[in-house]
Amino acid sequence: MTGSIALLGQPNSGKSTIFNNLTGARQHVGNWAGKTVEKNEGSYTYKGTKYTVTDLPGSYGLSGNSDEEIITTDYIKSEQSDLTVVLVDASQLERSMFMLAEFARLDKPAVLVLNMIDVAKDMGKAVNAEALAKKLGIPVLPFNATDSKDYDKLKKLIADELKAPHKLIVPSPAEHKNVKEDSRIKFEWVDEILSDVTKSEQKVYKMSGFDRIMTRPVLGKVICICVVLLAFLVAMIIMMPFMGIGQMIPAVLHDPVDKLLTGWNVHPWLVSIFSTMLPNVLYFTISMASFVFGVNIVFGFLEETGFLARAAYQFDGLLSKLGLQGKAICPMLMGFGCTIGGACGTRVMDNWGQRMLAMSIVWAIPCASIWSIIPVISGMFFTWWQTLLVCVGILVYAVVTMIAVSKVFSRKLAPKNTRSGMIMELPPYHKAHWKHIFKEAFFKALDIFKRALRTVTLVSILFYVLSFSKDGNVDNSLLYRIGTFIEPVTKFFGMGWQTFMAFISGAFAKEAVLGTLNAVFMGDNSLIEATFLSNTTSTDTALLGTAMSSAISPAEALAFMFATTFNIPCIMALSTTYKESHSLKWTVKVALFYICNALILSFIVYHIASIFI
Amino acid sequence: MKLTESKTDMLGKISAVHGDDHFMNRITSIGITEGTSFQTVRNDKKMPVLIYLRETLISLNRADAERIEVEKK
Repeated sequence: MTGSIALLGQPNSGKSTIFNNLTGARQHVGNWAGKTVEKNEGSYTYKGTKYTVTDLPGSYGLSGNSDEEIITTDYIKSEQSDLTVVLVDASQLERSMFMLAEFARLDKPAVLVLNMIDVAKDMGKAVNAEALAKKLGIPVLPFNATDSKDYDKLKKLIADELKAPHKLIVPSPAEHKNVKEDSRIKFEWVDEILSDVTKSEQKVYKMSGFDRIMTRPVLGKVICICVVLLAFLVAMIIMMPFMGIGQMIPAVLHDPVDKLLTGWNVHPWLVSIFSTMLPNVLYFTISMASFVFGVNIVFGFLEETGFLARAAYQFDGLLSKLGLQGKAICPMLMGFGCTIGGACGTRVMDNWGQRMLAMSIVWAIPCASIWSIIPVISGMFFTWWQTLLVCVGILVYAVVTMIAVSKVFSRKLAPKNTRSGMIMELPPYHKAHWKHIFKEAFFKALDIFKRALRTVTLVSILFYVLSFSKDGNVDNSLLYRIGTFIEPVTKFFGMGWQTFMAFISGAFAKEAVLGTLNAVFMGDNSLIEATFLSNTTSTDTALLGTAMSSAISPAEALAFMFATTFNIPCIMALSTTYKESHSLKWTVKVALFYICNALILSFIVYHIASIFI
Repeated sequence: MKLTESKTDMLGKISAVHGDDHFMNRITSIGITEGTSFQTVRNDKKMPVLIYLRETLISLNRADAERIEVEKK
């Protein structure tokens, strides 16, 4: 026996919480056939029967012509699921029942879940669920998404309904060609149904004291920025234990593996892959995943409590200049921590074009790794105040890049006529559902970990082969030969072969830049070991500084720093963008844009700097 | 008057909404339909307009708010 149900509800109706709690880890993310819209499916077992759950995409209604709305309507019509669970927010019943009015026209079996019944009660709103059920002809379940007992009730209800399904018995709202008129009819339908079910009276709204401060034009923005800085601090604290464990892996594994394999007479080449490279890849992917974990926990918290909606309100005006809307502020802020997290964070945006645009803009935001390497490199060539200038220059150019990306791509991705300004609700402040936040962050981190392990291993092996030389000297590697061969071209852009190699490794991962520089300039150990070991053993920056500053000019160093910062963020950011956008074409387009941007920037910086320095 | 011209804490009614079907769909599905009572909660220069309508606090982009006409109750 199996059953299939679908979840339908407006944004903020608590749909994703219910979906996650119903299905737990048994989830599958794909996309709807031929569309860039994400398809979330999951399953659970109740009393020996397996139920599949489909999370229907969509916005506030079903009548618009967005991909999401068409997919949802078609899905319900096609009867691929046996029952639709319609979620409404009991604390805003009148408005959220609009979705049921839309659904009524499809005339399919359903149950109605009055979510956030606890919030409604706290607000003194009484909803007569029985009267509502009688009127509608379908079961109505008052629901509190944080109460695990309610999930049992829901599962039981679903099981019962699949045996004897109910359809709405009220006549569906009449259809009207005129959109305005059509909506009016639907709300009248809702009002009529709710007339003796709940009392809703227009009360004068009084903003809470905190909200009054949060919505102040200047002070609100300052608070937003402070909260986000604090959030990053907390994210760091969360990730630290994981990083600590990850850091031990290479040290713990290296010697035993080395001994074991050497004992088996394995070729030293392979030995170093297993004893040095793979443990470091593992460490690297763990630190990446723990970063994503930390960033997602703090931002999950900020989103659930309702803080991010306030931030979206604050920054809408600024972001609309980039062709985005206020909601993009969350992924952009996450981008300062980690571009991968930022790309995932674009899920809050409601249409694909805006999401893709937001992701491409997030790429321009220098992530935490960049801020950890730039001051080090800059410090080798410049004084402290010059280094400060370099950092300011990077921030300024980040804004320039964002504007350029928006100019180049927004016409296709967010054409003026489909550009939707921000219309969003500011939900009341909620208590955070910690379990849900942790679960969500854990799944995201796990996903990154799995994908990163695959990608990073592959790229590392490739890099390893290229940088291999029999005597361990970089000058005998394939990389050196390729590097010196194309040097005339890279010189044109302001980078010698060494810095260009570091530039390439920066596209792989920004953390690898220092190690690569160390290998190519010091030349005393194999490139690959330096690249990976720089994560675990600190690079002697003073020594490297002396070597670098005698080998290359400050102008080249400056060009290199800018080129590295504004190149594609890292291989995992690329892979995540592809996964989130489901569009290889656009991911490649944006990547090419960034590579060109970095090279041109390098050219300009080098030639201008050469005049002055 | 336009929604953007309404004063903070004004109680009013939506009198007209202008725009194409795409806009109309978005704005009406969140509950902003003609005849609905609302309250302007905050209206600062260069900031989205905050209104309270159908028991919900809604933030509206200024350009969109320009297309909504309201009358004082």
